[in-house]
Amino acid sequence: MASLLQPDTVVYLVRGEKRIRAPLSLLYFCRYCSELRSLECVSHEVDSHYCPSCLENMPSAEAKLKKNRCANCFDCPCCMHTLSTRATNIPAPLPDDPTKTTMKKAYYLACGFCRWTSRDVGMADKSVASGGWQEPENPHTQRINKLIEYYQPLAHREKQERDRKKMARRRQGMPLAFSEKYGLGTRLQRQRPGGPLSSLAGLSIKEGEDQKEITIEPAQALDEVEPLPEDCYTRPVNLPEVTTLRQRLLQPDFQPANASQLHPRHKHLLMKRSLRCRKCEHNLSKPEFNPTSIKFKIQLVAVSYIPEVRIMSIPNLRYMKESQVLLTLTNPVENITHVTLASCEDDDPDDINSTAKVMVPSKELVLAGKDAAAEYDELAEPQDFQDDPDIVAFRKSNKIGFFIKVIPQKEEDGDVTVSFKIRHDFRNLAAPIRPSDEGGDAQAEAIWLTHHVELRLGPLAP
Amino acid sequence: MLILLSPSAKISAGAVVCVESEIKGDVTIGARTVVHPKARIIAESGPIVIGEGNLIEEQALIINSYPENIMPDAGLEPKTMIIGTNNVFEVGCVSRSLNIGDNNVIESKAEIGRNVILTSGCIIGACCQINTCEVVPENTVVYGSKCIRRVQSERPQPQTLQLDFLMKILPNYHHLKKTVKGTGAPMRS
Repeated sequence: MASLLQPDTVVYLVRGEKRIRAPLSLLYFCRYCSELRSLECVSHEVDSHYCPSCLENMPSAEAKLKKNRCANCFDCPCCMHTLSTRATNIPAPLPDDPTKTTMKKAYYLACGFCRWTSRDVGMADKSVASGGWQEPENPHTQRINKLIEYYQPLAHREKQERDRKKMARRRQGMPLAFSEKYGLGTRLQRQRPGGPLSSLAGLSIKEGEDQKEITIEPAQALDEVEPLPEDCYTRPVNLPEVTTLRQRLLQPDFQPANASQLHPRHKHLLMKRSLRCRKCEHNLSKPEFNPTSIKFKIQLVAVSYIPEVRIMSIPNLRYMKESQVLLTLTNPVENITHVTLASCEDDDPDDINSTAKVMVPSKELVLAGKDAAAEYDELAEPQDFQDDPDIVAFRKSNKIGFFIKVIPQKEEDGDVTVSFKIRHDFRNLAAPIRPSDEGGDAQAEAIWLTHHVELRLGPLAP
Repeated sequence: MLILLSPSAKISAGAVVCVESEIKGDVTIGARTVVHPKARIIAESGPIVIGEGNLIEEQALIINSYPENIMPDAGLEPKTMIIGTNNVFEVGCVSRSLNIGDNNVIESKAEIGRNVILTSGCIIGACCQINTCEVVPENTVVYGSKCIRRVQSERPQPQTLQLDFLMKILPNYHHLKKTVKGTGAPMRS
């Protein structure tokens, strides 16, 4: 029965720039626009960088300097797991007296998953536990740095000319580095189609600095290429020695073809992001800054505002025969919610996936509020709702089970899909309450929201 | 002249075998081997000879069973299962292999079929299943959900520290099976 609770059996439709169908657990709810938002209609902003294994926080500038890699942690080049440092005791001669040997600690890196060790590639054991490990130098670093130095002033000059022409309406408060650093992420950048060089331009140069002319020598084309070894075609392949594509491409500097040249690299940093509604610019999700904390400062997820529909049990569905499906509705807010269901009209533009006709209860369903202390409160009287036993199967605190009738219309092999509209009242507690003159009840105004829900009920019974 | 082998286990002196472990059939266990409680060593269709310094953890199953589609009374000659020294059978693994060398590690919930022969220094990763008919070369590591392999440069170290610790601590909390005096280490054929 757990298969009925899979997240993609019940999807809600999001009417954003694109029409997206997603389960409620993946959606956000902007309570200022009173609309559902999915990950594609919000803007993502980077909050902070952190290393997933040592959980060390890093400010964005430092992260950029270190190329988004942690200074302490390494990744196994073979299986990409985190490497751990292990110690062995080796006998080493004392510095004072070469004849006596004493046990010294030597450290090496080892992977717990694939048993790769740093001794496999020939890296010597280090005498310090951390900080002794170096990544191999890229032989082309010098040339690349020179090229970057040459192109940076060019890019900067180009950008300045473009800005002067456009008479940029840049906000005064935002520093220069901010908008360039994140490329096409922020709203400003998106309106200006920038060329590829604009991302380089913001890197370092101060405005108005006297740029010296840097000349680089052009790359020289060679006529002769190193010939392949003679036994290239006849030598049998030593399979354990050949690296896989994934192992090779994780080190784009070297791309070693042999496993004995796979050096460990520093671990990539992950980032915490915050989400912002594109229409009203309010934050929808803002995590805490501390990498060890999983809580949110602002968490406007859809599951805590919109009643959730779940499938409880499905009988055998037969072609053109009416069956009753049991669904549950859960009320996430603390006040009583009234829900009305309506089946889709025949020419509804949103209704593209349904393969069955559905009859939903026409009466309004009342859901009790979510009361966290209800299970401990023994004196509370159970609230009395007049439930029609044909429609409402059971009622349990803030959850209600109800029946819908489904008639599958298509006899093909796919899943039976039904869709209907759900209309509920939403009290916006975020909006400022206008002080009423009589000093009466400051209840928030209820607005009615309608959502389009699609359910996937599984295949027809054989 | 058929000598009827006594169906009890021959446990060498120095081995630590807990009473809660299940040992059935003709099993010989070498010195310094530790068998945890709830481990199962079952010699159904032939004897099992286990060498020295092995570590057999809880719920591990070492079984010399009949091959799948052959009836028990077809008169097959019983094959001896030989396990070498310094092997580690981690929690929940299943080993049906007839020939296991030295210094191997069979990690948790791994399964080895009957026709696999492990040489030395092999590590079969957790939840990996090997049901092929092959000799696994030395120092091979099998890991990952797709059972990919690689060769490591050195064999895994024998777990001497762990064995010493267990041989001291286990008798404090468990009763041990009786050892047979003076059998010494079994000969490896």
